[in-house]
Amino acid sequence: MNRLPGIIVAVASEGDISLVDVAVGENTLTAMLVETAESAPYLEAGNAVSVLFKETEVSLGKDLSGRLSLRNRLQGEIADIRKGKLLAEVTLDCGGHRLVSVITRRAAERLELAVGDRVEALVKANEVMLGERADGL
Amino acid sequence: MLELSLRKNLHTAEGNVTLDIELEAETGQFLTLFGRSGVGKTTCLRCIAGLTEPDHGRIAVGGEIWFDRTKGIDIPPQKRRVGFVFQDYALFPNLSVRENLRIALGDPKDERYLDELLELMDIRELERRLPTTLSGGQQQRVALARALARRPRLLLLDEPLSALDGETRQRLQNEILRIQRHFRMTTLMVSHDLGEVYRLSDRVIVIEGGRTVARGRPAEVFSNRRISGKFQFTGEVLAVEPNDVVFTLSILIGNRVVQVIATAQEMQDIQVGDTVMLVSKAFNPLVMKVDRNPGRLSPSRS
Amino acid sequence: MAYDWQPLILTLKLATVTTAILFLIGVPLAYWLAFGRFRLKAAVEALVAMPLVLPPSVLGFYLLLAFSPKNAFGRFLDETFGLRLVFSFEGLVVASVLFSLPFMVHPVQSGFQNLPRSLTEAAYTLGLSRWKTLTRILLPNIKPSLLAGAVISFAHTIGEFGVVLMMGGSIPGVTRVASIAIYDEVESLNYDAANFYAFVLFALSFSILLAVFFINKRALGPH
Repeated sequence: MNRLPGIIVAVASEGDISLVDVAVGENTLTAMLVETAESAPYLEAGNAVSVLFKETEVSLGKDLSGRLSLRNRLQGEIADIRKGKLLAEVTLDCGGHRLVSVITRRAAERLELAVGDRVEALVKANEVMLGERADGL
Repeated sequence: MLELSLRKNLHTAEGNVTLDIELEAETGQFLTLFGRSGVGKTTCLRCIAGLTEPDHGRIAVGGEIWFDRTKGIDIPPQKRRVGFVFQDYALFPNLSVRENLRIALGDPKDERYLDELLELMDIRELERRLPTTLSGGQQQRVALARALARRPRLLLLDEPLSALDGETRQRLQNEILRIQRHFRMTTLMVSHDLGEVYRLSDRVIVIEGGRTVARGRPAEVFSNRRISGKFQFTGEVLAVEPNDVVFTLSILIGNRVVQVIATAQEMQDIQVGDTVMLVSKAFNPLVMKVDRNPGRLSPSRS
Repeated sequence: MAYDWQPLILTLKLATVTTAILFLIGVPLAYWLAFGRFRLKAAVEALVAMPLVLPPSVLGFYLLLAFSPKNAFGRFLDETFGLRLVFSFEGLVVASVLFSLPFMVHPVQSGFQNLPRSLTEAAYTLGLSRWKTLTRILLPNIKPSLLAGAVISFAHTIGEFGVVLMMGGSIPGVTRVASIAIYDEVESLNYDAANFYAFVLFALSFSILLAVFFINKRALGPH
């Protein structure tokens, strides 16, 4: 599980669904939740949260151009690559935070990923969870 | 609504244990006493009901003092107005279902309430039957209805579903929740089933070796942190298999085994036998209607 | 030939009265022994069980001494209540009650003890008083034990000999019950009459026990 510390900057709700913008370092990530400030009081701008998402939900892009629906884009540098027979585990350093992506080995080879490359990590907003942070980091 | 603090020395198979518990519950709250080792939880319920006498302490319900060692107060169980559901149900074998309920009515003429209970617990058809002719799930319903017939101020459930099979258990969990909400009944349950604790309780108190080791909302107590994921299940890790660069975990949830992928980093502090929480987002699961003809659970391709 | 029915009627009368009194004494005693916690409980239990091992003549002998108007206790009973227990029907009843006590207490006590404790506790938490719990819940659920206690006490009283002989002697119409009559008839070589009493007692005891086993089987049979 990827866990990044962040601060809520905005909450937009409609019915039970909310889009929550969270500042993580210099990036802003958006989480889509079936939860509102009423059901989860911690959903308030200024609160510290953990941004959580699964490694297998993280796509990688290199030399991206053109327009993309994905709003969750994190710039990072490849710190490590572990290749299995079918899968590859790519570890990024995103402004000091560690972020892991598990993609197919084929995809990793097609992108010619190598340690030190600049890449972008992409996550759909509906794959992002928020966790309340007691430590207030 | 309920204030309790008690101490009692217990002689158990594992030696002497001192039960030392303090707790409070608000009106309408569902509180669970959770703990793996058997010690203390049931004793706590029994002390509240007046069936066991604490060595020290005080028990007050709705401003009424039921027990106070220093003041020498010890109200007999008959006057405490609790609805106690026993682990073995303790239905009276000589009385029919209806009579089992009627004997518990404060006012014997309160037949309307009796009918309401029978209706509510869906045991109307069983009212003339003797308890020994009922299934475990039916006996459980009758026991719950009987406890409510007393119009209790407090509902005490001692591992109410432990003797039932998985499916009946799940159904009755829903029943208990529905009834508890219906009457806004302050409820104290003893359980050692995590899933049950999660589904039913507002607050949980974890008791180990006679002492409180944690208390709070189940999600807080068992996961340390609150998480927004809507799909939360707890289960036990049965097996861990390294596959390629990831791991496949077999996890027992209820009576089903599911398989989940985890990364090396996630596996650092997880071992076989651990209790884990599985969280997913409400957006992920695919929803498919189940074909009522057995054997065809997948969507048809036509 | 006309037989004298009197000893048989006396036997049935003694057994009926004894059983009724035993029921009234034995059930509370059994309840006390089953649920009470007190010192000397073991002593009380041993005392209740004594007639099982004691020769009837021993019990009869001491009762005879105790109730004799020549002794303090017997004189007290005689002067205060006008009660003479030696060589009287009342004396026989007292002796029979003591002698059959374990046969009533034991089945009822184990009946109580075999009931799940949660039944009593459930009744208490539902607001039932001790008395109501006993009469509405506990007693109805140990019917087979109550029946067994009553019937075995009844049958045992019918078969009593030693105590009756010591306490009551053989006064026709007062203390000459069937078992004594058989002895008397045999002594006077009246085998025919002895056979009559013996056969009736045999048939009676057998049918009573048969009925008990039959009823218990139905009560404990498949639900």
